[in-house]
Amino acid sequence: MNDLSQPMSSEYSEGAPSACHDPYLRCAFFGAAQTVTGIRRACVLSHSPQGCDQLVNTAFGWQQTDYLATKSLCSKLCEDEIVHGGEATLAKVIEDARAFSVSAVFVLTACGPEMVGDDIVAVCQEMAADVPFQLVPIECAGFRGTQYDGIDIALHGLLNQLVENPGEPMDKIPDSVILIAPHASANPSWPGDLSWVEDILERFGLTVLASLTHGTGLEQLRDIGRAQYSLMLTHDCGYRTETLLADRWDIRPLLPTSALNRSQRLPLPVGFSNTGRWLQRLGQVLDKEDLAQKMVVQGEQFAVEQLRRQGLPYEFFNGAQVAILADATLAVPLLGMLAEDLECEPVAVGIRSRAPELHALVRDECDRVAISPRIETGVGVYETAQILSAAKPDVIIGSNIERHLAEDLGIPYVLRVVNPVARFRLTNREYFGYHGFLNLMEIMQNDWWDTFRSKKRHNRAHWLDGRGEGVEP
Amino acid sequence: MLNPDMRQIAIYGKGGIGKSTIAANLSVALAQGSKEIMQVGCDPKRDSTRNLTGGRLIPTVLDTLRDCLRRGRDQHSIELEQIVFPGSAGVHCVEAGGPEPGIGCAGRGVLTAIQILRDLDAYRTYELDLVIYDVLGDVVCGGFAQPIREGFAREIFLVCSGEFMSLYAANNIARAIERLSRRGQARLSGLICNSRGHPTLEKLVLEAVAKRMGTQLVGFIPRSQSIGRCEVEGITVMEGAPESEAAGAFRTLSERVLATEGGVIPAPLELEELEHIYRHCAREEGS
Ligand SMILES: Nc1ncnc2c1ncn2[C@@H]1O[C@H](COP(=O)(O)OP(=O)(O)OP(=O)(O)O)[C@@H](O)[C@H]1O
Ligand SMILES: [Mg+2]
Repeated sequence: MNDLSQPMSSEYSEGAPSACHDPYLRCAFFGAAQTVTGIRRACVLSHSPQGCDQLVNTAFGWQQTDYLATKSLCSKLCEDEIVHGGEATLAKVIEDARAFSVSAVFVLTACGPEMVGDDIVAVCQEMAADVPFQLVPIECAGFRGTQYDGIDIALHGLLNQLVENPGEPMDKIPDSVILIAPHASANPSWPGDLSWVEDILERFGLTVLASLTHGTGLEQLRDIGRAQYSLMLTHDCGYRTETLLADRWDIRPLLPTSALNRSQRLPLPVGFSNTGRWLQRLGQVLDKEDLAQKMVVQGEQFAVEQLRRQGLPYEFFNGAQVAILADATLAVPLLGMLAEDLECEPVAVGIRSRAPELHALVRDECDRVAISPRIETGVGVYETAQILSAAKPDVIIGSNIERHLAEDLGIPYVLRVVNPVARFRLTNREYFGYHGFLNLMEIMQNDWWDTFRSKKRHNRAHWLDGRGEGVEP
Repeated sequence: MLNPDMRQIAIYGKGGIGKSTIAANLSVALAQGSKEIMQVGCDPKRDSTRNLTGGRLIPTVLDTLRDCLRRGRDQHSIELEQIVFPGSAGVHCVEAGGPEPGIGCAGRGVLTAIQILRDLDAYRTYELDLVIYDVLGDVVCGGFAQPIREGFAREIFLVCSGEFMSLYAANNIARAIERLSRRGQARLSGLICNSRGHPTLEKLVLEAVAKRMGTQLVGFIPRSQSIGRCEVEGITVMEGAPESEAAGAFRTLSERVLATEGGVIPAPLELEELEHIYRHCAREEGS
């Protein structure tokens, strides 16, 4: 069994630049921007040189934020502000936000101003009484960590500053749920996954009070303390948020992810068997086991019939050695999906994030489906290349980045399901649930076919012996 | 257990004024009064605790962190024993460390180091009554103010001699405290005089300036040859020359520090006013 508590072997980490693993993950500032752009009728003010503001733009895209409803401003710091401090400039830009009719302005700090000691919290406190919107300072300099750390920082900022906290138990809205960090997923499927979860919860009779965050209103945020349950939609971060919600407002995790009790930890519903288990557990917790069972039976029937009718030739998976290179949100459930549903052998897993809670979850999954892949967390592209050249899998499940790596290493099949996928999409399609399982299968099947779409690649793939070694015809 | 009454004190002042000497002797005096004390040197020179460790320079937090990062680990893999060392009279010694001169950001480094102490729960583990941060030189950039800003150091003592430029530096630091008190709980608790050998003038000037800033002169350390002699041996006068006048002064200072409560948001002076007070006191001393 892999010992995840051990650091990566020195061979890989020699000279590795501490916690930064380029270029899969962006910085903490980006994670915070991803999070606050999920709040409606607000303004995001990046207290930064203008380059960092590009990250806010990317975050808008990721959150599918309506540019007309959510505004953005940047203090465009230059040398003068770095030398003398940029608090006065920030105050001026906050004044500019009066031009928008927004209820809140999120002030995010980038590296420069935090290094030189700009006190955005004090500036916000001083101006709070004079401006017609709430000021929410979030200290999220890029150097504070990865985008996942940024998501955690921003979620804490929102909960501490915007949610009512009367210090005594609040009136609960029965059967209400808070969804944690749906946007943390590195997969283009996340808005689809979120809709799927909302739909399922509704069928179980639950109401989603707020998502942290996606299209979330400030009034929804204020009321969060009245929720009964929370539900994590990622394995990469948000663990601290789950704990905070429970400790401060007595919001019970529906499916606790950080639970010490091994039998309670569960991968997200990606894949045929995982979806079934997830739905059934939800049924148990909510005392609606019959309903859950009905959903599982219907869903499975739908998936099986669909696969049969469309005649999907997915048997190339059978017995194949697979490497998974993804965020934890996808990688953890893929372990089970590949081993149980597709009967192949995950030989190596590289996970982009490194939350401590992740380790036990991954270990349990591997034990459960009796596989023992090499597992690394917090990997960057360099580590991925090392993992792949050591494991020499038949198939890679990853992103466009691994496609380039695979060409050098002579690995024929790269199935691109994780961001960046370099595929244009106009509709949100999920990976969660039975439909999502088919979506995933469809993408993987198409990428598999693509492998043969050039004569050169066709020949290469044809003459490989399955271990990446070329065999002369 | 974390002591709910744990106090966090920072010593600021002009470069070379005697902050580290005062911090180390104060730590020992307080520890001899059976308090659990930690002294955190916030200076890349890492010489703050030298007189507490027999002249040995202890490994720094930031060096240890770097070593961890190079091995692919993070700060959580640091053991407290790697960064906290027992010193004279049981004072827990820590050196933040920092970059080589001329590179990097020492101010940010100080904050990183203190955050590591907090993350590793050092304050609770050692059941501290009081932490002393010995912060280098003037508050030259936003970075050095971090220990105050992030709410670590609440009570600030400014060390000055009667020399004009040391007052000028202290006044600048008071300005920083005023600025930072907007957000945090940092307050000025008093001035400490480290004498250059003109006690009458020094007391006159410092008392006047302290009063004008809204605070008081809490301690007077005489110029003493024992301090230099003990420094060579790497010990404090509290141990090397317990009967000396200096040691007595440190004991008195420690009692005053324990007795001070709260502090003030200082009112810094304009340069002209500072000059005026100084001239006035010099005249008064002369007459
Ligand atoms: N009261 C005193 N009598 C005699 N010598 C003293 C006295 N106070 C300090 N010194 C000497 O002055 C020198 C500088 O003192 P110290 O290192 O404590 O200053 P510092 O303020 O910590 O300096 P830095 O800003 O460089 O950290 C030391 O050699 C010390 O022995
Ligand atoms: Mg010193």
